[in-house]
Amino acid sequence: MTDEARHSLRTASAEDDADRLILVDVGEGKLDALEGLYDRYRAMAYAIALRITADPALAEDVVQDAFMGVWRHASRYVEGRGSVKTWLLSIVHHRAIDAVRRRKPVTELPDAELPAPGQLIEGDIWPQVAGRLDAVEVRAALDVLSPVQREAIELAYWGGLSQSEIAIQTGVPLGTVKSRMRLGLQLLHGALVSGGGEAAHRPGSVDRPGASG
Amino acid sequence: MTMTCDDARDLAPGFVLGALSPDEASAVRAHLATCAQEHAEFAELGGVVPYLADSVDPVEPPAGLRSRLLAAAAAERPGGVARESAAGLTAAERPGASPVVAEGREGAAPTSPIPFPSAGNREQRAAARMSGRGAWILRIAAVLAIAVLGAWNLQLQSRLSGVEGDLAAAQAYRAAVTAVLNAAAQPGAQSGFLAAADPGSQATGLVAASGGSVILAVQNLAPTTGSQVYEAWVIVGDSAPVPLGGFEVGLGGTGVFRGSTALAASGAIFALTLEPARGATTPTLPVLTLGTIVGGTG
Repeated sequence: MTDEARHSLRTASAEDDADRLILVDVGEGKLDALEGLYDRYRAMAYAIALRITADPALAEDVVQDAFMGVWRHASRYVEGRGSVKTWLLSIVHHRAIDAVRRRKPVTELPDAELPAPGQLIEGDIWPQVAGRLDAVEVRAALDVLSPVQREAIELAYWGGLSQSEIAIQTGVPLGTVKSRMRLGLQLLHGALVSGGGEAAHRPGSVDRPGASG
Repeated sequence: MTMTCDDARDLAPGFVLGALSPDEASAVRAHLATCAQEHAEFAELGGVVPYLADSVDPVEPPAGLRSRLLAAAAAERPGGVARESAAGLTAAERPGASPVVAEGREGAAPTSPIPFPSAGNREQRAAARMSGRGAWILRIAAVLAIAVLGAWNLQLQSRLSGVEGDLAAAQAYRAAVTAVLNAAAQPGAQSGFLAAADPGSQATGLVAASGGSVILAVQNLAPTTGSQVYEAWVIVGDSAPVPLGGFEVGLGGTGVFRGSTALAASGAIFALTLEPARGATTPTLPVLTLGTIVGGTG
């Protein structure tokens, strides 16, 4: 496990190092660097924005806004707190949630320029998971959660609902929503970091870094 | 309202998932910024949140998004935003800086972004979505509007920072861009952005061609002296650059060029050089700014 983790880290670091170099160029105003970053992550960014907004045109706006945010503020990326990819996709997520909330005048807008909460205090699980997470593995980790835990987390993350709104929508007390989110996140943490029970003991996940390197 | 450590712990899951009200989120931030205790639960819970994004399958965005993004980025590059960011990079990367507090404060820093372009963009894009016919004209107009407002706002920013004369320059550039925008809105017109092409140049602008005439609006040019002129060039495929004519630039740094060429077709490259005198037949390097025009019906 230790060797595996070290191996993962090394492979993922190479990729992330490349991203960080690109980001430095982006910060210096080099358009081709921005284009490179866009080409690397456009499909993930658009998929996230589309899932949250459910509106292709709005999702395009969100992706453009997010990359423009990176263009203006490449300096806000802080090394050691996660990968460039994670940072970039967090911005996409944040802007998409903003865009969805903007359509609901009842909800007060967060300051668009404050870092997303996930960025603000991002625990760095990157060293443990680097290089071996893909959609299949994250979904497998999510399967460790109970349906109601998963629902609470997804309504917040993809639906942009506040915990009070989730309580109303799911018809349970606020305290129940909080504990579902807490337990769900703890289980997810365990599943992702340890390589998680059934989730990461599938053949293939162990050798992934070597195969991609 | 003072928040205790227990309150903060209670709100941690909602905080890391962005599911708190703005007031609650601010209170948590304030607590974390000042609390002497370690709140490891935020790292533990929050660390997995970004990986939720990995549970979706990639979806390829429409191809036009790339050019819109790059055009918007090119329009915002000059005038100091990028440089301010670069300066911030060294500060943010300084070892020992407190990321939580530093980043929270950075959100309110005066270098924060320019609100006008994206708002204008959104409205224009909404209009473009509603109208099928002529939507591409609106789309070009939307992209150009970003440039107008972006440049305008950048100029305002530098004026606020005490640079004299920039307001007049911004107004001149705005007028020039409006002229380009009008040309770009003609049926069959081609248009494009001019991006700085040399490390020593911050010259950027717009170009539109329609019906054999071409108009360029360029900002951030050094004033010409003596017989110097800025020469506009058009390059098609592998052919040698063809001179279009020269123009002078005053202290404002804004240049407008109107000329005619039969070579303006989608894919043609427009470039600008500084020449010692009118009538240059080959460009004097470096190329200061350049861009490709696209569009047109034909």
